[in-house]
Amino acid sequence: MATQAQAATPGGLGQQLREHFSNWRLALVIAILAIPGSVALFPLETAFWVSFGAVILITATVVTRAWGRRPGPLLVAPALATLFVMNIFPLLWSLGLSFFHFRANRMSPPRFAGLDYFEKVISDPNVWDRLQTTAIVVVLTVGIQLIVGFLLALMFEREFPGRRILLMLVLTPMMLSFVAVGAFFRYYYEPTFGLLSQAVRLVTGEPYILLASPEGAIAGIVFADAWMWSPFVMLLVLAGLVSVPKYLYEAAEIDRASWWRRFRTITLPYIRGLLLLALLFRTIEAFKLFDVVFLITEGGPGTSTETIAVYLYRVSFQYFKTAESSALAYILIFIVIVLTNLYLYFVQQREKDEEAPA
Amino acid sequence: MKTLKALVGVLASAALLGSALAVKPASAKDIVLRMAVPDWPPTRIMKDLADKHYKAPSGNNVVLEPDFIPWPDYYTRLAASLTSGEQKYQMAVSDSQWLGANIEGGYYMKINDFIDADPELQAVFKDLHPALVAAYSTYPHITAAELAEVGFPHPDANYYGFPQMPDVLITYYRTDLFCHEGERAAFQEKYGKALPCAPEEMNDVDWDLVANIGEFFQRSAGEMLAGETLDDDFYGIAYQAGKGYDFSSMEINGFVWQHGGNIWDETMAPDGQAEGVVNSPEAVEAFEHYLSLLQYMPPVVKTGTMDIFKVDELFREGKVAWILQWIGFAESAISAEMSKVHDRVGFAMHPGLRMADGTIDRTANIGGQPFVLTTWNSDEVIKEALDFVKWWLSSDVQTMFAQAGGQSGLMSVHGAPDYASYRPWNHAFGPSLKWQKDVWHIPEFFELLVQQQEEFDKAITGQKSAKEALDTIASFQQELLTEAGHIE
Repeated sequence: MATQAQAATPGGLGQQLREHFSNWRLALVIAILAIPGSVALFPLETAFWVSFGAVILITATVVTRAWGRRPGPLLVAPALATLFVMNIFPLLWSLGLSFFHFRANRMSPPRFAGLDYFEKVISDPNVWDRLQTTAIVVVLTVGIQLIVGFLLALMFEREFPGRRILLMLVLTPMMLSFVAVGAFFRYYYEPTFGLLSQAVRLVTGEPYILLASPEGAIAGIVFADAWMWSPFVMLLVLAGLVSVPKYLYEAAEIDRASWWRRFRTITLPYIRGLLLLALLFRTIEAFKLFDVVFLITEGGPGTSTETIAVYLYRVSFQYFKTAESSALAYILIFIVIVLTNLYLYFVQQREKDEEAPA
Repeated sequence: MKTLKALVGVLASAALLGSALAVKPASAKDIVLRMAVPDWPPTRIMKDLADKHYKAPSGNNVVLEPDFIPWPDYYTRLAASLTSGEQKYQMAVSDSQWLGANIEGGYYMKINDFIDADPELQAVFKDLHPALVAAYSTYPHITAAELAEVGFPHPDANYYGFPQMPDVLITYYRTDLFCHEGERAAFQEKYGKALPCAPEEMNDVDWDLVANIGEFFQRSAGEMLAGETLDDDFYGIAYQAGKGYDFSSMEINGFVWQHGGNIWDETMAPDGQAEGVVNSPEAVEAFEHYLSLLQYMPPVVKTGTMDIFKVDELFREGKVAWILQWIGFAESAISAEMSKVHDRVGFAMHPGLRMADGTIDRTANIGGQPFVLTTWNSDEVIKEALDFVKWWLSSDVQTMFAQAGGQSGLMSVHGAPDYASYRPWNHAFGPSLKWQKDVWHIPEFFELLVQQQEEFDKAITGQKSAKEALDTIASFQQELLTEAGHIE
């Protein structure tokens, strides 16, 4: 180790400096003593800066030590540090908050609450009601997206005149912002000015009010979300379809295999992974559906389209029950993780089943 | 040589003069008053007036720097800034309902001591209409009636805010329809009543007549309206009935008060109950009355998305004859670029319930916003901010504000004879103030509001009866308010 280091940085002064400033163990000890000490002794603001200084010291010593010796980790470190500061730390912080009595709009310090808020959230009938709404929306919208996306992919698989332009048009919804889509559909469904109502009125003579009933409102939300995200499923499936070797189809043709059989034995195995990936992505996203609902119905009529994400928004940013909303958010993360793992389990299970006979 | 001397002398004295002019008073400082404001004309006018006319009496260079935030984001952005601790704003415009949460949170500054020490501020408060002081400034809330009775300063009042844009609900109507001879004759024949045309006539409209107006002007495409064939459906009336924010409570509260009912009364805490009050027979009757008029409104009302913006749009697009709307929207109704009916709009006071003695009770929920000082300002900034407030609430500036399209809460300004001539709707403002009451200001405001809006929405969209909705609201409020210690 020492010889390596000497080889990397020959010369006396640099070497000496490094010896002094690369003692990260000492820095760590200082930090471990200084941070709790300053929190206990000084006012909060001073303690913050002392802790900040300690962290900088550790960082500096670690960087000095790694300089020239471990260029790989050193290059990745800034990205990791940013990720930690901007993402992982707040995530852990909010997890911590869920165990305390805390409201972000009060200046009073947090008090320990244990699992109170988790219990409260789980026993809250509103949460179960919103979860049911969310489940209905997720099942409908993801189902429709998979079917429509799949059919679109089958259509775009073959060459036809104007394919490129049409493909671009079909992909547009996916690239629009949620706000634009929400505002667009709000007008689209609007009974006085809206296109849908105007079109229906040509036939029935009456304005059509889709969003007046809970069922209609859910249909409206599902349609808007499916309109936006079916192209995404199409893209994934299309990638799978294009990857199927042509010779397999040619061989099947020679064997006079039916369309269904070709589809089942050649196409499906190639796209199944991607299709399941689309299912996973879209389920997670639909589970978090907020923007479109908030913009089109604001959760109405009544609470019939209020998804769990909208409810979470209300608890955290309208009621400012920060601790309760953190607990709810972690329960939701847990649900998503369970769903994801179930999905992965099934995928692996199937792969094993397929490998076993072979 | 002589000329040279003279030249040097002239130059020297010019330099001296120049430097004397350039040098500021020794104490002059640059002070920025950063203020969170919603982006709409009343705050734009404020900025404009401040830039053109405000000179700090202290001699400092004080600049008002509003952070213009779009309305739909306003609450979230302000709350995020306050709660993050970034201490970005020295002042903020706030809906009156947010006072409790943000005062309890420690963000809005109590100004009693400054009022006590400053006769000019006292004069301002004495000149402000008590309804505005009650809604915009006091926390815990003290009613306008009590403030008016006790006078200023009220010994128990904690004062916080100052009016930025005081706002009330008023009637907007289409003069081309209401003053059309043929329509007037037809209305007289059908209902045996005169169709109101002039603002004075419209000021005498009660809810029964509103129902007649609603029914009368509801026409299908192909029918005639004011001598022209309609190519689209037309509707009689519209008022807010949306689920978002407070877009049905603000109208329903008025109905409840007019019918002799009440919302949960924060000034009665801890004895005032929600159960039995919020769902009292009077309140149920009032809510049913409110719901009974929805049938004359554009079909979007059935979706629970008829908020104030939709009402505004329907009126400007010429789809509806008569609406109730905040005065703050009036400018866009008469703007040629934004309104298809800009040259045919009349304004009048909010209608109400006809009492036994023939008068109209037009109690309504107050709108508009106060602005407040935040708690983290230095003494110097507080002084400058209060100087700015005194300038803003001086008669001259308030008159300029009103002339540019704002409204003034100063009785000396809105009571002046010229006031009505500034804008076509101004005549409806001053007389409306005495009818204004406000919704709750307690920190739990948003929880109360969201649940109430959801239940109101269920009744508006026909999923529940008025009584069922109010029963649910009452029991929810009873539980929440008891838990929070507002009901014992």
